[in-house]
Amino acid sequence: MNQSLRFLILLLPLIVLTFFAKVLLVNEDIKLPNFESKDFPLFQLNDLNGNPVQSRSLEGIKLINVWASWCITCLVEHPFLTNLSKQNIQIVGLNYKDSDSKANAWLQKHGNPYLFSIFDPRGDLAFDLGVTGAPESYLIINNKVVGHIQGEMNQIKWETIFLPLIQKAQQGS
Amino acid sequence: MIGEISHFLSLSAVLLLSLILIFNFFFFFAKIHPNQLILSLRLFNQACWLVFISFGMYVYLAISDDFSIAYIASHSNSQLPIFYKIASIWSAHEGSMFLWIVFLTAWSVLFINSLDKKHPLKKLTLLMLSLIILGFLLFLLLTSNPFERILPFGAVEGADINPVLQDPALAIHPPMLYLGYVGFVIAFSFITAYLLNGDFDLQWEKEIKKWSFVAWIFLTIGITLGSWWAYYELGWGGYWFWDPVENVALMPWLAATAFMHSLFASSKSSVLKTWTMFLGILIFALSLFGAFIVRSGIIDSVHSFANDPERGLYLLGFSGFITLLALGIFAYRLPAINSSKLVVTGSKESFLSMNNILMVTSIFSIFLGVTYPLIIESISGEKVSIGPPYYNTIFAPLILIAAMFIMASIDALWQRSITIKALCMNITVPIILSLLCVYIVWKVTAIFSILPYIGIFSGLLILLSYFLRVINNLFNKKFINKGSGIAHIGLGLLFFAVSMNSILSYEKNLNLAPGQSISVNESVQEFFFKDIQVLEASNHDIISAEVSIFQDGRTIFLNPQKRKYTVRGQITSESAIHASVMKDTYLTIGDQLENGSWTFSLKINYFIKWIWFSATLMVLGMLLTIFKKTAP
Repeated sequence: MNQSLRFLILLLPLIVLTFFAKVLLVNEDIKLPNFESKDFPLFQLNDLNGNPVQSRSLEGIKLINVWASWCITCLVEHPFLTNLSKQNIQIVGLNYKDSDSKANAWLQKHGNPYLFSIFDPRGDLAFDLGVTGAPESYLIINNKVVGHIQGEMNQIKWETIFLPLIQKAQQGS
Repeated sequence: MIGEISHFLSLSAVLLLSLILIFNFFFFFAKIHPNQLILSLRLFNQACWLVFISFGMYVYLAISDDFSIAYIASHSNSQLPIFYKIASIWSAHEGSMFLWIVFLTAWSVLFINSLDKKHPLKKLTLLMLSLIILGFLLFLLLTSNPFERILPFGAVEGADINPVLQDPALAIHPPMLYLGYVGFVIAFSFITAYLLNGDFDLQWEKEIKKWSFVAWIFLTIGITLGSWWAYYELGWGGYWFWDPVENVALMPWLAATAFMHSLFASSKSSVLKTWTMFLGILIFALSLFGAFIVRSGIIDSVHSFANDPERGLYLLGFSGFITLLALGIFAYRLPAINSSKLVVTGSKESFLSMNNILMVTSIFSIFLGVTYPLIIESISGEKVSIGPPYYNTIFAPLILIAAMFIMASIDALWQRSITIKALCMNITVPIILSLLCVYIVWKVTAIFSILPYIGIFSGLLILLSYFLRVINNLFNKKFINKGSGIAHIGLGLLFFAVSMNSILSYEKNLNLAPGQSISVNESVQEFFFKDIQVLEASNHDIISAEVSIFQDGRTIFLNPQKRKYTVRGQITSESAIHASVMKDTYLTIGDQLENGSWTFSLKINYFIKWIWFSATLMVLGMLLTIFKKTAP
C-alpha cells in the first residue's frame, strides 16, 4: 500500500501538469456559423516598419491574420499561411500586443507570409475588431469584415469557411 | 539610465543566485567546509539586496514618470497622485510579479538569517530558496520584463491606471495577498531540506511555526480585503463569487489552516508528522498553482492578466518542477518518516486529523471546480461554468461534519481518549441550544432552505461550544486557549453570517423616472428618485442620482453614480451603500430607458459587516497565539 501511495503522490501532480500543458498548447477552435458582416473599424496605426497604414491598402479581398511572436499556435498555422500566400492570397498581418523588435525577429526567423503587418502593440484595433486572442483570422472584402475564424487556420477551415465566402463574392461582382 | 541600472541589478541577482547553486553543486559530495556555508550565505544576502535595490529604483522610476519604460507608460500617468503611481506598479502582470519576487526574497532572507549559524538544515534550505527565487527572477526577466523600454522614443504621457483599480485598496490588497502566498515558501523549503537531509530526529516544527502563522495572517487579511474591496468599492454587489481566482486563493488558505492545526498536533504529541509535512509542501504548491492560473490566462476571470501561453508554459514548467521535486523527496522518504506512533481514537489529535481530511477534501473539491470547465472543454468543446450551487452543495455537509469534530475536540486531550460520557456531556448543551436557535431563526424569518440552515446550525455549534467554554472559564477557572477560542468563535460567526446572508438578502430591480416614488415592500416603504445630475470631475464625467429611501422608520439618502473615464473611455458604476449593524442597503444605478426613466438595482444584504468582523476575529486569535508565551 505504501508503495502505491508513493507512486500516487507523484502521479497525480504529473497528470495535472500534463493536462494544463495540453490545454495551453492546443487552442480550441470555435466556429462562428452566422457571422454578420460589418465595416472594418477605422484605425491609425503603423506597420512593423514604422510606416503609417493606408486604409486603401485593405481594399479587395484580404485575409487579416492576428498574430504575435509570443503565440505558439501562430507558429503552427504559419506553414499553411505561407502556402496560402504562395497561391496569391493576400494576407495582412495584425501584430497583436507584441514588441516590434520581437515581431520583426520572428518574421526573419520563420519567414514572412504577410503583405505587411499592422503593428498594434496595445491591441486597440484588435479590440475594435473583437479579437479575443491570437491567432484569429478575418476575411475582408472591400473594407468589410465578412468572415471570422478563432484559433489556428488550417486547410479544412479555409475550405469550409473562407473559400465559399470568397467564391460568393467573386460570383457577385 | 536608472532603468538600466535597475535592470542590471536584477540580472546580477540572477548571476549571484546561479553562482550559489553551481558552487554548491560542485561541492555537493565533498565534506562540508564551514566557509562553504558562509560564502553561500553572503552571496545569498547580496543577491537579495540587489533585488531590493532594483525594486526601489523601479519605484523611483514610477514616481518620476519615466514613460520610456513600456510597463510604466501603459499603466501610470503623470496626473496620478504619487500614491497611485507606486500602486500602479502592481496593477498588472509584470510589476506585480516583480513585487511577488521582492516579497519572496524578503521572507527568504529574513528566515535564513534568523536560523542558527550551525543549524544543520541551513545550507539545504538556502539552496532551495535560491533555486525558487532564481526560477522566478528568470521568469520575470525572460517572459515579462518590466524594464523594457519603448525605443527609440518613449511615450509622452502614460496610458493611465485602470479606473477600476483607482482605489486605496489597490495599495494593500495585492501586497497582503502576495505576502501571504509567498510566506509559505519558508515551510516549503525547510520541510524539503529536512526530508533531503534525512536526519529525522531533528526538531523542525518550532523553526517554521511562527513564520507560517504570520504568513497565514497576511493571507487571511489579503483575502478578506479583496472581498471587502469587491463589495464596497468595486460595486460587485457581493462579497464572494467563487471566481476561479478567488478559489485559487482559498485553496492555499485551507491548506495553511490544516497545516497549522496539524503542526500543533505534531509538535505536541509527535503524531501526524507525515501529514504536516505533506500539507507544508501543498500550501506553497497551491500558491504556485494560483500564480499559474492567474498569470497564464488559461481561465477567464476578472483577475486574470493578458493571455500569453509563453508565460503560462514557463510558470507551469517551473512550478511543476519545484512541486514534483519536493513531492518526489517526500515520496522517497515516506517509509522512513512514517511514525510508528498511532493516533489514539478520541484524542484531540484524532479530531484534528479528521478535520485535516475534511480540509483536504474541500481543497480537492475546489480544485475540481476550477479545472472541471477546462476538462469538459478539452473533451467535448462545450463551455460550462461551475458556480455557487456546486460549492454550496459540497461545502454545507463538510462544514457540518467539521463543526462536529471541532466541538468534540475542545475538551479532548492530547494522546488520551475522551470518554463517551464526557463527550456526550460536552456536546449535548451546544447541540440543543443550536437547534433552539435554528428554530427561532425559522420562526422569525419564515424562510426554509436546507443548505443555509446546515450552515447556520454548524456555525452556531462552533460558536456556542466555545462560548460555553468561555463562560466555564470565567466561573470555574477552567483552562481556555484564548487564541484558539477567539479564532474559532470567528469561524463560527463566519458560517453563521454567510448562511444568514444567503437566506435573508434579496434584490429588487426598479424602474423610475426622476421625481417618481415607489413602495418596494414592508421594510422599504418608500423609494424616492429625486433627481439626476451630470457632473464633471478631473478625469471623468459623473452621472449622479439622488435617491431617498424610507426604510424601517427612518430616511436614508443615497447617491449611486456612473462614471465615464475620459482617457480610457471606460464606464464604471459606483454603488451607494448605507450600512447598519444588521443589513446594508446597496443601490446601483443602471441605464436610462427610452421613455426617460432609469433602472436601479436595490440590494438588501444582511450580516455583511459580521463577515468582516469574523475574519478580524480569526486574525486576532492567530495574533494571540503568536504572542502567547510558549508553554514549556
